[in-house]
Amino acid sequence: MVLISSLVLFFLTAPLVILVIQSFTNESYLSFPPPSYGVRWYGEVISSEDWQKATILSLIIAAIVTPLSLVFGTLVAFGLERGPRSGKQTLQAVMISPMVLPHIVLGLGLFKIALQFNIADSLWAFVPAHLTITIPFVIVTVGASLQTFNVTLEEAARSLGASRFWAVWYVTLPIIRPGLIAGAIFSFIISFDEFIITFFLATFQRTLPLEMFSTLMYQVKPSIAAVSALTLAVTAILTALLMFRGQVVGGGKIIK
Amino acid sequence: MEKTDLSKHKAWLLLAPTSVLYVITFLIPLATLFILSFAKFESSVTTVGLYLDNYQKILSDGITLKIFFQTVKLSLIITLTCLILGYPVAMFMRNAGPRARLWILFFVVSPLLTSIIVRNVAWVLILGRSGMINDALISWGWISKPLPLMYNTFGVVLAVVHVYLSFMVLPLFAALNSINKSLEEAASSLGAKPLNVFLSVTLPLSLPGIMAGCTLVFILSMGVYLTPVIMGGNFVVTLPMLIEDAVRNRYNWPEASAMALLLLLAIAIMIIISSRLQRWVNR
Repeated sequence: MVLISSLVLFFLTAPLVILVIQSFTNESYLSFPPPSYGVRWYGEVISSEDWQKATILSLIIAAIVTPLSLVFGTLVAFGLERGPRSGKQTLQAVMISPMVLPHIVLGLGLFKIALQFNIADSLWAFVPAHLTITIPFVIVTVGASLQTFNVTLEEAARSLGASRFWAVWYVTLPIIRPGLIAGAIFSFIISFDEFIITFFLATFQRTLPLEMFSTLMYQVKPSIAAVSALTLAVTAILTALLMFRGQVVGGGKIIK
Repeated sequence: MEKTDLSKHKAWLLLAPTSVLYVITFLIPLATLFILSFAKFESSVTTVGLYLDNYQKILSDGITLKIFFQTVKLSLIITLTCLILGYPVAMFMRNAGPRARLWILFFVVSPLLTSIIVRNVAWVLILGRSGMINDALISWGWISKPLPLMYNTFGVVLAVVHVYLSFMVLPLFAALNSINKSLEEAASSLGAKPLNVFLSVTLPLSLPGIMAGCTLVFILSMGVYLTPVIMGGNFVVTLPMLIEDAVRNRYNWPEASAMALLLLLAIAIMIIISSRLQRWVNR
C-alpha cells in the first residue's frame, strides 16, 4: 500500500517537477534534462507584450472576483447557518448547485446571454461568470468554519451592548478567519485558472489560460514551460497558505 | 439573552445578492438553452418553437450518439482508474501519522489548485512525439520511431486522471476516516485474515465514499473539454467538443443546446443512480 501510494504521489508530482526543470533551458527547444540551464525564457516571457497583457487581464478579473465572491458567499453562509432550520439543506444545495454543473454548459448559456446583452468579451461578462463558480466554494469553506464557531462568544458581545453587526465584525469574523482565507484563496485560484467559460465569452480579449492554450495549440515552445512554471509558483504559494493558514474541513486546522 | 438566530426575513436578505446573481448567470442561461434546444435551425436562421428536430438529429445522425457513448465510456474508464489509484492513497492517509497525513494531503490537494492547462503542458512535454520519454527511448536506441503516447485515449485518460484524482481521494479519505477502527480490530481479533477484514468490514463501510468519489469524477469527466483537445488532438472527440464546434464554427445554437441538455441528462441519471445506491447501502 505504501508502495502504491508513493507511486501515485510520484505520478501526481513528477510531471510538474519535470516541467519546472525543462523551463530553465537555455536552448531554443525543450528537452529533458536540458543541455544547458538559464533563465532565458523567463526573460522572454516577462518582456513579451502578449503575455503581459494576458497576465494583467487575469489579475484584474481575479482581483475583482475575489473580494466580491468573499462578500456574497459569506453573506450566504451566515444566512444559511443562522436562518430558519427548516429547508436549510435544500437551500444550501441550491446555493452551491453551480458546482455540479459542467462548465461547458454554463459557458454555453452565459455566452448566449452575454451576446444578447452585448457584453461578451468584456469584464461585465467575465466577472459575473467567474463569480458564479467561485461563490459556492466560499459558501462551503466559510459555512464549515461557522458550524464550528461557538455562538456564545457572539452572544456575550451582544449582551455587553454590541449591535449584531459589530458583534459579528469584531468577534465572529476574526475567529472564522481561516475559513475566510480559504474561501478567498479558492476564489482567486479558480478565477485565475478558469478556461472554458472565458473561452466562450472572449473573442479578442485573452486571459492567461486562453493565451497559454492558443500558444500551445500553435507550437510547444520553452516559453510555454516558463509561463506554466510561473503560474505554478503562484498557485503553490497560495496552496501552502491555504494548508497552513486556511481551513478546508470544519474543526481547527485542515486535519484535527 | 440576545438571539443569534435570524428571522426568515433577514436570512433571505443575506441570500438575496447571490440569488439575484444566480438568476442572471445560472437560471436564465439554463432556461435559454432549454428553450433553444427545441428551436429550429434552418439555413442559419433560428426559429423558436416546439420542434424536436435537434433531438431527432442527435439520435439519428449516427455520429453524435456514438460520440456521446464514447464520452460516457471515457468517463467510466477515468472514474475506475481514479478509484483504483485513489483507494490505496486514501487508506495510506488514514493510517499515517498526523504530520505525514498533512504532507500527503498537500500533494493530493495541490493538484486541485493547479491550473489544468499547466498540468496538460507538463504531460505534453513528457508524452509528446518529441517529449521526454520518446527522446530518451530513441537516444538509447530502444525504438526508432516515436511511440504514440498521446493523441489517443491513453494520453487523455492519463492526463484527466491526473487532474481529477484528488476529487476521488478526498471523499474516500473522509469515508475511511469515519470508520470506527475497533470494528476492524474486532474482526481480526475474532480470527479474520487482513484481506478478509478489508473485504468484509472496511470496503463495505467505505462504500458511501466510493460512490461520492465516483459520482463526482464521472460528472467532471463528462464535461471535460480542454484535456481531450490538448492530449487527444483530433483523435479523441468528446461531447463537449461537439458542443463547442456547433456554436463557435457553425453558429448552430439549437443543436448545441440540445447536446448540452443531453449532457445534463446523463449527469442527472448518474446522480439519481448514485443516490438510489446510497439509500440502498444505508438500509
